[in-house]
Amino acid sequence: MQVALKIWRYDAATGQKALKDYEFDAPDEATLLDCLDIVKDRIDGSLAFRKSCRMMICGSCGMRMDGGAVLACKTRMYEIAEAGHIPVISAMGNLPVVKDLVVDMEPFWAKLRAMKPWLEPGYADPGETEHVVSQQAMSTVHKESLCIQCGCCVSECNALESSPDFMGPAALAKGMRFVGDPRDAATVERLEDYSTEHGIWECTRCYFCQERCPKGVDPRDAIAKLGAEAMRHGIDRDMGAKHANWFVVSAKTTGWLRETELVPKTQGIVTSIKQMKFAMGLAVKGKVPPPFPPHVAANQKEARALYDIVKEQGVSGAQGIVQAEKALSRIEHHEGGGAAAERGPYGPGSFPKPYLPGEQETEEGVAP
Amino acid sequence: MRAAVEAHDAGADVAIVSKLHPTRSHSGAAEGGINAALGNAAEDSPEMHAFDTVKGSDYLGDQDAIEIFTAEAPGDIYQLEHWGCVFSRDADGKLAQRPFGAAGSPRTVFAADITGHVLLHVLYEQTMKRMVQGSLQVYEEYFAWQLVVNDGRCQGVVCWDLLNGGVKVIGAKTVILATGGAGRLYRATTNAYACTGDGMAMALRAGVPLKDMEFMQFHPTTMYPSGILITEGCRGEGGYLLNKDGERFMAKYAPNALELASRDVVSRSETTEIEEGRGINGSVLLDLRHLGAEKILTRLPGSRELAMTYAGVDPIYDPIPVRPGAHYHMGGVETDNWGATELPGLYAAGEVACVSVHGANRLGGNSLMETITFGRRSGKAAAEWALSENPPVNVPESVLHDAEGELKKLLGRSKGERPWQIRDELGSSMLENFGVFRREEKMLAQLEIVDGLRERYPKVVVEDKGDVFNSDLTQAIELGYLLDVAACMLQAGIARKESRGAHARPYDYPARDDENFLKHSSTRWAGDGPELSYKEVRMTKWEPTERKY
Repeated sequence: MQVALKIWRYDAATGQKALKDYEFDAPDEATLLDCLDIVKDRIDGSLAFRKSCRMMICGSCGMRMDGGAVLACKTRMYEIAEAGHIPVISAMGNLPVVKDLVVDMEPFWAKLRAMKPWLEPGYADPGETEHVVSQQAMSTVHKESLCIQCGCCVSECNALESSPDFMGPAALAKGMRFVGDPRDAATVERLEDYSTEHGIWECTRCYFCQERCPKGVDPRDAIAKLGAEAMRHGIDRDMGAKHANWFVVSAKTTGWLRETELVPKTQGIVTSIKQMKFAMGLAVKGKVPPPFPPHVAANQKEARALYDIVKEQGVSGAQGIVQAEKALSRIEHHEGGGAAAERGPYGPGSFPKPYLPGEQETEEGVAP
Repeated sequence: MRAAVEAHDAGADVAIVSKLHPTRSHSGAAEGGINAALGNAAEDSPEMHAFDTVKGSDYLGDQDAIEIFTAEAPGDIYQLEHWGCVFSRDADGKLAQRPFGAAGSPRTVFAADITGHVLLHVLYEQTMKRMVQGSLQVYEEYFAWQLVVNDGRCQGVVCWDLLNGGVKVIGAKTVILATGGAGRLYRATTNAYACTGDGMAMALRAGVPLKDMEFMQFHPTTMYPSGILITEGCRGEGGYLLNKDGERFMAKYAPNALELASRDVVSRSETTEIEEGRGINGSVLLDLRHLGAEKILTRLPGSRELAMTYAGVDPIYDPIPVRPGAHYHMGGVETDNWGATELPGLYAAGEVACVSVHGANRLGGNSLMETITFGRRSGKAAAEWALSENPPVNVPESVLHDAEGELKKLLGRSKGERPWQIRDELGSSMLENFGVFRREEKMLAQLEIVDGLRERYPKVVVEDKGDVFNSDLTQAIELGYLLDVAACMLQAGIARKESRGAHARPYDYPARDDENFLKHSSTRWAGDGPELSYKEVRMTKWEPTERKY
C-alpha cells in the first residue's frame, strides 16, 4: 500500500520545528511503527522515535496521531492509507519534547515514584509459602495491573495541561493498584497522600485518559475507585470529596441535585457568603433554581429505592465500580467478535470442528 | 533488576545500566508463566521438575545446574508473591498452576497471560523502592557498548548516552550482563527490536567464550506474518493445533502429549505439516473456540487482544493462524552455577547466559524462572566479589579516548550502504537456511552469506550525526552484534553432526549421537572469527535415554 505521513520534526540542537511530508510503499499489514521504521531506514535516518516490543506490552512507542495519543505499534495503517488520509504524527503532549517523537519521560517516572508504588505487606510472614488471597479479591486490581506506562493518558490529560503538578492518570492508576490490593497495609496512608492538593480530586473527569489508554486500564475509573475508597475510609476533607458526598445526600433525600446547597456543602459557609452577590446575579437571570421550596424529583421514592438497593448489596468503595466493570467485560466479547459473534464459533462459514487423526469425520465433525 | 536488587540488599553499591527504560525490557512480553514445583495443582517435586527439564534439554543441560534451579525455584516464587506480584489464584486462594509443554505436572505459575509483564513491573517496583531510598541508581537509555577489561578483569562498561549524547564510561568492580537474546537475527521472531545479542557479542569481544550457540528455539505459535507470540498457555489451557483439514495433527507426532509436547517437537511437526501441503498460507491453526468466551476472557485476554490486533481474528470465534518463529537462545555467555564467567568480575544471567539449564531445548515457563533464580544468584555472587578484598577500579583514560575515536570514525562516514539492507538480508537468509530443519548445504551457504554481510558491515553509513537520541547510531552498532552472533551459531551448527533438541538435521543426521556429541560447544573469538571447541556435560543422576512425548 502507498502510505503518506506528515511528521512534526523537532531538532533539539537548534530548537527548530518543522512539519515534514513522507510518502512510501509499505506492506498491507504495516502498523504506524512499521511505517516509521521504513522512513528511518530508507528516507531519513535522523528521525527519532522509541520502539521495542512492537506488540503493545513494552510501552515505548506512545505518540500522537492527528492530535490524539496512540501506541504506534497498535495502530494498523491499512484503512487510513486506503482512505487517502494523511495523518499528522507528533510527540506526546504534557511532556517536554527531546527530539522529533521522543519526549522526556522523567517527569512521568518521578510522579510514579512519588506514589510509593511497592507493596507494604500487611500480613504476618507466612514463611516459605504464599499468602493466601482469593482470586476475586485480587481481581480488584486486574485492570490497573495491565498498565504498561506508555504515557498516552498523561499526554491527553486536560487537568495536567492547566496544573502541571497534578499526579496524573498513570500515577494514580498505579496508586489504585496498591490501594486495591488486599495484601497491602498502607491503604489509609496512601489515600491521605493521594487526596492532597494535586491528587485524586484535581482530575476534571474529562475521560480523555480512559478513551486513549491502549490497554484498557481505564485510568479515570481507577481515580474514581481511589475517590470511593478515600470516602469509605472517611478521608473526605477535600472539596472534591465533599462535592461528591453532597451529590449522594441530595439524590437520596430529594431524588435530584439541590444545586443551591452544593456551594456551601462543598466550599463552606465563608466562601458561600463571599459568593452571595454572584449567586444573586445568577438567580436574577434565572440560572439557578430558588433554594425554597427544595427541588424534589417527581419519583422521589424511586430514587430512594435505588439508593437502598445499592446499600443492601453491601458493595462499597471501589468494589461498586469493579462490579460494574465485570458486567461490562462479560458483554464486551460480543462487540469484539463483530460478524463472527453473530454466527458463533461453529456456525456457517466457520472453520470446521477439529478431529483426531483416524476418527471418522462426520458432517458435524468430531468433538474429541 | 532481580540481580541488582539482590546485590543492593547484600550491601553493594549498584547501578542498573539499560539501553531501554527498565520496564521496556522484552521480559515483559513473556506471557504464559513461570515454572516452580509448588505442587498446588497436582503432586509435584523439584526432582520431577528437574527430570522434565533434563529430558526437555535432550540431555544437554547441566544436571547440577538444573537441580539447583528446580530446588530454589519455589522459594523465589514466594519471594515474588511477597513483593506484590499479582499471580492468578486457584479456588483455595493459593497460586494457580497450569499445564505447560513437556511438563509432568501442572507447575506453571501465571498471571493470566501477562506473566512477564507483572514480574517485570514488580521488579521495577522493588527497584523504585531502593531508588527512592537513594541507594540504587538507574542509568536508563544508556546503550552499553563495550566491556572495560583491564588487569585481567572486567572493570566496567563503555556506554553511549542516548538522551544527551556522548560516550560515558562507568567503572565497576563487577558487571552482570542481563541483556537478553538475539532473536532479531531472524525475520520471523517473537523478539523485540532490542533483542540484538548485545551482551553475547560484548563478552565475545572481551575474550569470554559462548556456549551452545547453535541452539535457537523456534516457538510453535507465533502469528503470521508479524511473528508476534501467542502463548503456550493457550495450549496449556486446552487449545488445539489443526492443519487445513481441521485434523489435530500432533496426535501423529506425539501421541501422548499431543499439543503439549516440547517446543522443538511441536515446531518440527508444524513445519512438516506445512511443507507437506497441509498448512494454510504457510501456517497451521491454533484453535481455542472450544474453551469458550469465559475462559478466554479470564485466562487468555492478552492473546485475544494480540490476535484481534495483528491477525484480525477473535479466537472466541475463529482459529488463529500460527507458525514457528525464532524465540529463545538456549546458548549464550558461558557461566558457572553462580553466573560467573571465565573473566573475573564478569557475570551473566538470563537469556544472555548459558549455565546451562536449557541444553538443546528449553521448556516453556523455565526462562522466566531462570532470570529470577540465576539473577538472584549472580547478584549475590557479584556483590560478594565486589565487597571482598580486591584492588580498586582502575579504568585507563585510553578507554574513553579509544571509544570516542571509534564512534567518530563511524559517524564520519557519509558514503556507503544503509544498515537496513544488511539487517533484512540477514533476517531472511537465517530463517531460510538456519531454521527449524537444517541441511548441510544450506548452512554452508548461509555461512558464506554471513561472511559477505560481515565484509559489507564496516562500510555502513549512519545518517544521523547528532548527539540527541541517535538511535540510527545504536541500531548500526546492534547490527554488528547480530553478525558476530550469527557467525558463531553457524560454525557450531555445521559442526554438530547430529539431531538434538532444536538442532534438527533430518536429511543427513536424523538421530541423536551421544557418543560423539553429548557435549557443549564452546565458541571464542579468535582474530577475526569464531573458534570452536567442546566441553563435557555435567551429569548427576539421569542417563540419556530415547526422548518421546
